[in-house]
Amino acid sequence: MSPSGVTAYARVHATVRALYSYMLTFPMWESLIQAQDFDAVLNLLSKSIYAPYLELDRHLLTPRRVVYQIRRHLADVYEKLIRLTPQPGSQLLQQLWRHYEVDNLKAALRGVETGASWDAVLHLLYPMSKYITVTAEDLERVVRSRDMFQAIESISHTPYYETLVHALSRYRTEKSLFPLEVALDLTYRRSLWASIYELRGADLEHALRMIGTPLDIDNLLWAIRYRVFHHLSEQEIINYTLPMGYKVQDAHIRAIAAGDNLAEIVAHIYPGLEGLERLNLNPREGVAMLEVALQRRFIDLCKSTFIGNPFNIGIPAAYLWLNEHEIRDLTVLVEAKASHTPLDIFLPLLEFYPLLSRSTD
Amino acid sequence: MSKVELIVPERDVVPVTEALAASDVFHLAKSNQVVADGAARHANEWHERATTFITLEQRILNVMKSLNVDEGLPPSEQLHLIGSNVALRDIELLEQEAEGPVHEFEAAQLKLTQLQRYLSQLEPIAELDVNLGDLRNMRYTFALIGTIPVTNIDRLQSSLEHIPFVLVTLRQEDHLAVVVLFGMQRDAAILNRAARSAYLNPLHPPKGYRGTPGEAIAALKDNIARTQQRIMESQASIDRIHETRIRHLRHLLWRIRASRKLVETIAEYGRLRYTYLITGWVPECKLETLQEKVAEVSDQVVIETSPPYADERVPVVLDNPSLLKSFEGLVTNYGYPAYGELDPTPVVALTYPLVFGIMFGDVGHGLFLFLLGILLLSGAIRSLRKLAGMGGILIGCGIMAMIFGFLYGSIFGFEEILRPLWIKPLEDIMDILIAAVVAGVALLNLGMLNHIGNAALSRQWGKLFFSHNGVVGMAFYWSFIGLLVGSLIPDMPISASVFGILTVITGGLVAFSEIFEHLVDGQRPLIEGGVGTYVMQAFFELFEVVIGLLSNTLSYIRMGAFAVAHGALSLVVFIIADIVSPEKGLGYWVVVVLGNLFVIGFEGMIVAIQTLRLEYYEFFSKFFSGGGEHYHPLKLISEEGNKSYQEA
Repeated sequence: MSPSGVTAYARVHATVRALYSYMLTFPMWESLIQAQDFDAVLNLLSKSIYAPYLELDRHLLTPRRVVYQIRRHLADVYEKLIRLTPQPGSQLLQQLWRHYEVDNLKAALRGVETGASWDAVLHLLYPMSKYITVTAEDLERVVRSRDMFQAIESISHTPYYETLVHALSRYRTEKSLFPLEVALDLTYRRSLWASIYELRGADLEHALRMIGTPLDIDNLLWAIRYRVFHHLSEQEIINYTLPMGYKVQDAHIRAIAAGDNLAEIVAHIYPGLEGLERLNLNPREGVAMLEVALQRRFIDLCKSTFIGNPFNIGIPAAYLWLNEHEIRDLTVLVEAKASHTPLDIFLPLLEFYPLLSRSTD
Repeated sequence: MSKVELIVPERDVVPVTEALAASDVFHLAKSNQVVADGAARHANEWHERATTFITLEQRILNVMKSLNVDEGLPPSEQLHLIGSNVALRDIELLEQEAEGPVHEFEAAQLKLTQLQRYLSQLEPIAELDVNLGDLRNMRYTFALIGTIPVTNIDRLQSSLEHIPFVLVTLRQEDHLAVVVLFGMQRDAAILNRAARSAYLNPLHPPKGYRGTPGEAIAALKDNIARTQQRIMESQASIDRIHETRIRHLRHLLWRIRASRKLVETIAEYGRLRYTYLITGWVPECKLETLQEKVAEVSDQVVIETSPPYADERVPVVLDNPSLLKSFEGLVTNYGYPAYGELDPTPVVALTYPLVFGIMFGDVGHGLFLFLLGILLLSGAIRSLRKLAGMGGILIGCGIMAMIFGFLYGSIFGFEEILRPLWIKPLEDIMDILIAAVVAGVALLNLGMLNHIGNAALSRQWGKLFFSHNGVVGMAFYWSFIGLLVGSLIPDMPISASVFGILTVITGGLVAFSEIFEHLVDGQRPLIEGGVGTYVMQAFFELFEVVIGLLSNTLSYIRMGAFAVAHGALSLVVFIIADIVSPEKGLGYWVVVVLGNLFVIGFEGMIVAIQTLRLEYYEFFSKFFSGGGEHYHPLKLISEEGNKSYQEA
């Protein structure tokens, strides 16, 4: 434990610990899951850390709006931790934060493609106001554009412009958002990976684990999906994935692309994962199962970061991921309760809550 | 200020709201959430209309942007509600008129960009004496010329490791490279899919650019010149529409904005079955104006007025002479006076320059600030017009600095030119410090007198006599000062023991002030909680009051300290000037001028901040609550910008 680490991260650690203690407890989750309906969920959330974000007239609190409001908490904690974390960790968190910016941009481009109004798109976005390169006004301009060219030209001042403008010719030829979205995803993740190597020592080690693991999960699932669902060629799978990762190496991606046994490859990367044979027997179900299993494994990894030396970038990053997963589960729950989906349908989709119950047991 | 409640028939709500806004005197208060059957539905209807206007506003702004028309200033005449259908029709006509030339302009610009891109892609292979079409149609060899993101080159190469190929980079810039991918024609399908997935965009010069790269480049350059001509023509068309439609566009924009504000305002009204309930505040002297304005548009409106009841949040109008307006900002920065509370602006207009002058006493520096203040007030320099509000403060501070400059005998730091009318702070340090404390005592007493005045105005007699800053608190303060001074100066006309007795009596009254306040105001019980707890609490409260008064008083020592620092800083300027030029040449005077500017700018700013601190924390805390609400008459045109999606 270097003194500089303690000095630099003491405040961040104290803040994260305080924020961590406000995460939804297992009894709260139990109550939310057993809640009668959407209104009951709102009542319960009004007693949680999300309460201030839900102080709107009841008629405005549609399921979509509730999710949007809850996400504002994530925006607030990101902004707070970026502010408190010393450089170059702060820069890495900013880069991580832009993961939502890329998602917002993709949502806006989908809005252009489907001719959706700005009002329809607005509450699908992540609320972001600081440490961003694409503002709300930019996104509004994108959505209000007449066509994809105008949409992309309207964000010519952002770092995503070069990528999008180059991918535009493929969009025109193929009439699909796929090339635009893949180009954005790859470019963003390459720059995120590069940001990790701005760190040194314990920070680098933790950043590789906390940022590299979700990158691995994305990369692995992309490769499998491209093969199973899209039936892409070996060369295409390689070109549409990343050559680097924390545990998922280029060799693994190439093996998937070349048509090797999926279950064996995944078992080699993540020993101990159960039910992998379904990847070969029923790939569609197998991929969905694998995604949930990997996300739960990652949540466990985030929690384990809180044990041991806490004065490094791993702590804020782990908390931010945990908060994202809590919100992802809340999103599933809110939508399920609003649409009266039965418990047995939506419960298996929750990633965060089952781990809480396990730790309580 | 009078509270006004208007009961307005549904059909008159729009003209009445317009009349209220036109009267420029009506401060809209939140209605008491009057709920009648269907009230929420009505509110939603108005909210929906507001949303429609927001969309229309955005559309017209888009048209204005495409025609390079700015918003301009809001029109001076009264703006009425425009039907959303009428506005929509107008906007659609404008959009249609602008669409042609704007679209042509954008298309030409797009074409120009594409042509320039083709040109830059072809330039690296300008010397290649091969027909591009032939290159694509070779029988055994696959060849693909195109651009690829630099970051994808390695990935493309590694994806093709099982296929024979050659990738030649012809030109590489920051993000993109121009490359040629060669392979065997039998692998064309694989190579094409690999190239596409690596975002290798094939170079397809548009029709008419066949032949060798050199021939294509010449044709491209020709077309670029023609496209630039088209852009100029389209721009001329846009400019013509700009000229003819600028007034209409601006007027429509402001009318839509006013309509949006109007419907948003109505959505906030209370709603009865067939009527709306509008609640607000109007200065008593303006009541008649309001009634006349409303009567002009409807004779069915019931207007009820009443004085504000106790503890009601009433908006406040600050009505100070123009000379004092500059100082209002200093007060409102802290808070608005509550209704019925004394407006401290006149007192601040006196004390702020006084305290500043004590700390910054110099005739020359004061003159500089005075002239700067006049310059700001005059608005002679366009870029400084926004700072005109500071002009009055600078003039006041400048005058006081000049007065104290004469008292200290200082002009631009020179201490030998003027004979001091009072003391030289640098030489009589103890005197200036004691004088500062005495001035502080006077200012604190002024604060306490203001507190007593506020209590008298609000008829809070208990507070007037027994609160910590009331009569008893003031008496305690004086007794305590008397005791301190008496113990330091033995031959005082009144013995220190007299002050000691007074201190004990008034201290007791201060400690148990809550009981006396309750007694006078008729509040029961006199003591809340147990007696033991109360006595303990009273003791600590007295202790806190003593510490507070002492720290408040000693805080004013800084006035003397800064007066000394001002002199010392000027002295340092002359020392440096002597070092630079002992024979008092040009260098000496350059240092003196720059040094004086530094003292005025740097120390002037610090002194201004310290003065503000003394006003806010020492002085205001004695009497000013600052919990009032600004009187803000309803207007249909506001300067507020659009809400961001974060607040949406």
